[in-house]
Amino acid sequence: MMGAGPIRKVVIAGGGTAGWMAAAALARLTGNGVTEVVLVESEEIGTVGVGEATIPPIRTFNAMLGIDENEFVAATQGSFKLGIEFAGWRREGEAYLHPFGAYGADIDGVKFHQVWLAMRAAGLPLPLDDFSLCTTAARLHRFQRPDGNPASPLSQLAYAFHFDAGLYAAFLRRHAEARGVVRQEGKIAEVRLDGESGFIRALALEDGRVIEGDLFIDCTGFRALLIGEALGSAYEDWSHWLPCDRAVAVPSTRTAPLLPYTRSTARRAGWQWRIPLQHRTGNGMVYCSRHISDDEAAATLLANLDGEATADPRPLRFTTGIRKEPWRKNCVALGLASGFMEPLESTSIHLIQIGISKLLALFPDASFPAHERDEYNRLTALQWAQIRDFLILHYKQTERAGEPFWEECAGMPIPESLARKMALFRAAGRLFRYEDELFTDASWTAVMIGQGLMPERHDPLADTLDPREVRDLAMRMADAFRRTARAMPTHADYIARHCAGRTM
Amino acid sequence: MSGDAAVTSVAIAGSGLAGWLAASLVARALPDLAITVTETPGPDRSLGVTTAAEILLPDDLLMLGEAGWNGPDLLRECRAGFLLGTALTGWRADGAAAFMPFGEIGAPLGPVPFHQLVSTQRRRGEAVNLANYSIGALAAQAGRFAPPPPGDETAHSALAFGLCVDTQRMAAMLREDALERGVQLTGALSDADLVIDASGPDSRFAGAREDWSAWFPFDRVASARRSSEAPPPPYVHCDAHAAGWQSFAPLADGVGELFVFASADAPGAPPAEPFAPGCEVAAWTDNVVRIAGAAAQHDPVSGLQLHIALADVLRLIALFPATRELAAEAAEYNRQWREQTDCAFDAALLRLARTGARGAVWDRLRASPLPERAGYRHDLYAANGRIVLHDGEVLDEAGWIAQFDALGVQPRKGDALADALPSERIAAHFAAIRQAMIAAVGRMPPYQALLAQAVA
Repeated sequence: MMGAGPIRKVVIAGGGTAGWMAAAALARLTGNGVTEVVLVESEEIGTVGVGEATIPPIRTFNAMLGIDENEFVAATQGSFKLGIEFAGWRREGEAYLHPFGAYGADIDGVKFHQVWLAMRAAGLPLPLDDFSLCTTAARLHRFQRPDGNPASPLSQLAYAFHFDAGLYAAFLRRHAEARGVVRQEGKIAEVRLDGESGFIRALALEDGRVIEGDLFIDCTGFRALLIGEALGSAYEDWSHWLPCDRAVAVPSTRTAPLLPYTRSTARRAGWQWRIPLQHRTGNGMVYCSRHISDDEAAATLLANLDGEATADPRPLRFTTGIRKEPWRKNCVALGLASGFMEPLESTSIHLIQIGISKLLALFPDASFPAHERDEYNRLTALQWAQIRDFLILHYKQTERAGEPFWEECAGMPIPESLARKMALFRAAGRLFRYEDELFTDASWTAVMIGQGLMPERHDPLADTLDPREVRDLAMRMADAFRRTARAMPTHADYIARHCAGRTM
Repeated sequence: MSGDAAVTSVAIAGSGLAGWLAASLVARALPDLAITVTETPGPDRSLGVTTAAEILLPDDLLMLGEAGWNGPDLLRECRAGFLLGTALTGWRADGAAAFMPFGEIGAPLGPVPFHQLVSTQRRRGEAVNLANYSIGALAAQAGRFAPPPPGDETAHSALAFGLCVDTQRMAAMLREDALERGVQLTGALSDADLVIDASGPDSRFAGAREDWSAWFPFDRVASARRSSEAPPPPYVHCDAHAAGWQSFAPLADGVGELFVFASADAPGAPPAEPFAPGCEVAAWTDNVVRIAGAAAQHDPVSGLQLHIALADVLRLIALFPATRELAAEAAEYNRQWREQTDCAFDAALLRLARTGARGAVWDRLRASPLPERAGYRHDLYAANGRIVLHDGEVLDEAGWIAQFDALGVQPRKGDALADALPSERIAAHFAAIRQAMIAAVGRMPPYQALLAQAVA
């Protein structure tokens, strides 16, 4: 079975967000006239996807598929997102926003956040928020797409989406099926391996059908039926750094105004998410079962909704970590089958997306040479660890007192890579982006400062600028952002005009 | 307590190009510092080896521009020539010459990178020369050149160029600038909060060292500056010969030659400077930062000595210590420096160790296994044309592709998306690119006329 030539058949096990994202993207391969793409899913098996929040690179994925953005937002009851508000993460009663896009503009080669630190040291403590157009607009509940003119303040705007993950999967299914992907309804009963090579040969379904294939994509969620159960790819547990291990989700009625950002609120032993959609609000609570019971977590969630709950709370268990070999033999795992990180920075869909783009770039032939697999696994481990570090920062750098969960987090040992980053920022506000990592300097700045990690000094280069000129320039920047944001339509109006979903 | 005080003084050891580069750029970035430079006698080995000409890459020109050194000044003061890439002879088994241009080659088709389209077409039996889809290579071939005009939206806008500068004249230019900015010249190293060691491989600050001679067999370097009546070409010519290699770097009024060889393979060769490839274990220890040739001695085959010196200086400025407590900055500097050193090691080794050049030394190189990281890069490209990129790369993705391709390394397998495209679609894409590039080159002035004007 380990022949030569192109892969003839790709079998995607499991629908849901990961499965249909993979199907929509891999549909392109059928253009060679040889490769077919099949997706097996069962309507009986629920998917985990709830209200999903995303980050700006999803726009690249949609563009690659040729998806019209307004059509996609309408079809998924989606809304726009300018960032994430973190409430109570540093201390109870305080909140900060982690916006998309940059802070201000660099001055004479000096990074803007260094200019800001120098102004602060000189006794001019302006809020960092004033220098982010995304934050300014988010606070006013306004939204507009950026225009192409690089001279306009609007060019500083970056955005992503919130959407209903079930509707997104359905939307991608239509896209994929229209491009030749074949869906097979059925439950997988057995994963059949080749006795000699240990490769997956076929999936046997409960009704007796057998689906053979060359390459298998495991999108079966936490069960990891192919990569874990059948192929035994080990799981690396990260819960000593990210100790939350359960979640409970519940939708509620939409409230006004429609916020253009995700909210994350720290609770006694975890945090609560809030994702605004057109037809409802998605809510959930992520928590650590060692510190709070399931009942108490659900009760806390229900007591803290800003609308009426419209369904019963749904529980979820997980272990944060990563599959050591997300590609093993002839199987690549995507989504929850490949690992799990809590949705604190809305990276779940992004992790699927980068898995797919890596797979496309490293797509094997039927001989499955080791190079593609090794490079895929190397890049995956790197990308996941970078995001992991960013998540850990939120827990490590906290001043919440009197709560055992948070005190445990503040005291925990952290990865060396993160410790170095924090030490460097603490010394003089310096940041370096490693190996093309996802989160930019602006993201690290937002969360480090938001969590109270204030640099002790600033870069000496910032002292070479004329303080009065800098102050005037900074004031003009903030003013331009304020005026630009005020001129935008409200988020709700913008959606009503461009991409309203069907009333449900 | 002193740990809290600001750094106010810097002593630079070494008055070669690296020392004056550091003096000028640090003085420009931080004008309040007291800076001294200690004079060192003899040939300038501050970049690791003595050279008559050095190369500034396209990105280096941007960086220098931000520091206030613009192209016209560099051209005039350093008797520079423009560079569009490097021509290789003697490096391929099939005997063919090759050209490694700066900048992007071709253009992607949707999500499929250009070099993967080429790889697909070649496996379908088409002969495709990468350089035919580089505007820089086409301009070099036609003897035409002009920097892309601002706002240009034609194929011309993709033209990436560097400069070839006279090493001594650039050092003199930077020295004059530094002295004008108050930098003091001293006979002995003065007391300072921070020492920048720019004194090359024979540094008195040399610490624990890594020896690379097991990988890099070339241990002699001879350099010369020859005047030339012939108009300079806009590229470096690098020729592999039986005992090593030789390069010719075009200046406005001459040629910088470099002759690098393995002494064991060249009995009777004229005397040359000994060269020992390797690097320091740590570039920054206590209050001493070793830069350029004092920190790492790379085989000069990639021509990146000045690029690396500039990167070292700019890294030091970006991490200039906020106080005399230097540990956080030093640790990060060393991490980034090591990344760059490893990447430059890989680039030079893969340029030398997997070629088709003829000679006993080349045979030995080909027969030695590659170290793990360089081997991984090579094997992945040879398998499917994928480029591994780390922090601190000295070649960008296009540079790696150009190098592998010029040496004749061919991916065994193609990109699945490229293979899914019909041949005619790719051919039409290629033709459109080439047509736009040829049209753009046709509008450029003859290079000689432009250069004569620029250095006048």
